[in-house]
Amino acid sequence: MVTSYPGKRIDNDVIDPDLVSLTITLKLAGVTTFILFLVGTPLAWWLARTRHIAGFFIEPLVALPIVLPPTVLGFYLLILFSPNSGFGKAWTSITGNTLAFTFEGLVIGSVIYSLPFYVQPLQVAFESVKQDLLDAAATLGAGPYDRFFNIVVPLCRRGFVVAGTLAFAHTVGEFGIVLMIGGNIPGETRVLSIALFDHVETLQYGRAHLMAAGLLVFSFVLLLAVYTLNRGRPGQPRRLSLGG
Amino acid sequence: MEIRADIHLTRSAGFILDMNITVQPNGITALFGPSGSGKSTLLRLLAGLERGTVQDRIRITSDDTVWQDETTFVPPEKRGIGFVFQQQQLFPHLNVQENLLFALNRQHTQNDLDADQVYEWLNLMPLLDKNVNQLSGGEAQRVAIARVLLNGARCILLDEPLGSIDTASRSRILPYLDRLHRNLQIPMVYVSHSYEEISYLADYLFVLEDGKIKSKGSLLELSSTLELNSTEGDSAAAVIQCRVSRHDPTYRLSELDFEGAKIFVNAENYQVDDSVRLRIPARDVSIATSQPVNSSILNILEVEVVSFEESPGPSILVRLRRNNQFILARITRKSLNILNIQPGQKVYAQIKSVALLMESTSE
Repeated sequence: MVTSYPGKRIDNDVIDPDLVSLTITLKLAGVTTFILFLVGTPLAWWLARTRHIAGFFIEPLVALPIVLPPTVLGFYLLILFSPNSGFGKAWTSITGNTLAFTFEGLVIGSVIYSLPFYVQPLQVAFESVKQDLLDAAATLGAGPYDRFFNIVVPLCRRGFVVAGTLAFAHTVGEFGIVLMIGGNIPGETRVLSIALFDHVETLQYGRAHLMAAGLLVFSFVLLLAVYTLNRGRPGQPRRLSLGG
Repeated sequence: MEIRADIHLTRSAGFILDMNITVQPNGITALFGPSGSGKSTLLRLLAGLERGTVQDRIRITSDDTVWQDETTFVPPEKRGIGFVFQQQQLFPHLNVQENLLFALNRQHTQNDLDADQVYEWLNLMPLLDKNVNQLSGGEAQRVAIARVLLNGARCILLDEPLGSIDTASRSRILPYLDRLHRNLQIPMVYVSHSYEEISYLADYLFVLEDGKIKSKGSLLELSSTLELNSTEGDSAAAVIQCRVSRHDPTYRLSELDFEGAKIFVNAENYQVDDSVRLRIPARDVSIATSQPVNSSILNILEVEVVSFEESPGPSILVRLRRNNQFILARITRKSLNILNIQPGQKVYAQIKSVALLMESTSE
């Protein structure tokens, strides 16, 4: 009969709540970055190349989350997620859940919130690819997808790394919008920034210090990497790649 | 491949391209004209890199295939053409060899061109492992040309290919192009604003001005017309084609055959039977009605007067013919009257200087 193990006093089913928050944060940032990679890449390409009038409206729309208070965005998302809205109703009928105060809801919010941080650097990278180079590839028999994957992507590797890093870091630092649409549900929507807020509220300064310093160092290291990468001269072999 | 284009295109700045052009299925067709004459736009339309707007009337066909009309647009990657740009547009993330492989892996047609042969013609072996940003302008352009050849292009369009290359390298790369021209059956369209390049290379010439074709025809014939030269002043010149018959090492002169007559010039770099082009400036040609004797001038040709300029100025251009080729002479109007020169008359052209095209800059 096994009831307890002397000397191993940490409960097996209660993990440190801050570690849970860390996991959720990393998962949220990872999923968001991956979705942005799929959605933001074609959007950035379209914005970089289009002469269509719609580009004039889509471009500021994408940039909106940079200037908008996160609470504004969160407020509208909350309304969108409500089962009274068409979107919320459709989501509930498909998944059986509501979006508000769930991890999925957070992902949608984060994708919108971090969109400009992914799209803008990538758009700049795409714009720097000369049309003549693509014309040359076309006359050599390369169709549109061939040109994109074999000319544009390798030339914009650095742009992809910068865009992905910024989107990831920005999602990690999200606070206001999470508070609005995610609430503070441990194990579901309590991300690091919320947990930090809690620690301060409950005067747990030791934990708050640890977490704040961790986020600070993490953000600094990421930005240092991005700026170092950006500083490299064009045409030089890249120093980082997007994980293969 | 024979390309026909019927184009009426309006640009926003009020520029109108209005022309009808047929690219000969062999040889080099040159599009010549000042910047803004529409030659590059025409070339890009042929390649499918531009397509105009719905208001424009554009019809381009290649043999029996429609490339562009009201309902059809074949994208550039499906036209089987090669395009050589002024800036070479080598892919910077690939080295020279990888750039060539990019083309080889996407061949338009299986041509019987041997890759080793192309490497040799364009002297690429020393360049293969280089990074493209280590290449000089001339080297990069040779790679760009090789890329097009290995790609199996059935027609090669060249847009000011020497425009970004320094003068010294130009005279080195032109012989490469000339060699391709002699060895391949691929038609080329060559856009340039350098008359010298064109007279060295081209077989056919379209002169463009303000979006229209001002004149067209075989280069040798067109280059000696009074119309084309009357505004050239001192630089009026005719281009002739000769064949090297023998070298005379004693005097370091070569004897060339020009329509059955002999012309002596320094052409040591050529081999016997090579065909060479000479530029004969009109101001260095004088006319005598009887055969000059005891003259220091070596090159004296028996020719026939075709026509002369009707101009009130002190000097005029006279167009002279020997069999199928023409030269120009600039003489004073007074001499014309004193000698009573008439069209159809047999005269002697004394040529004081001749220059091999593109040779002057290479030495």
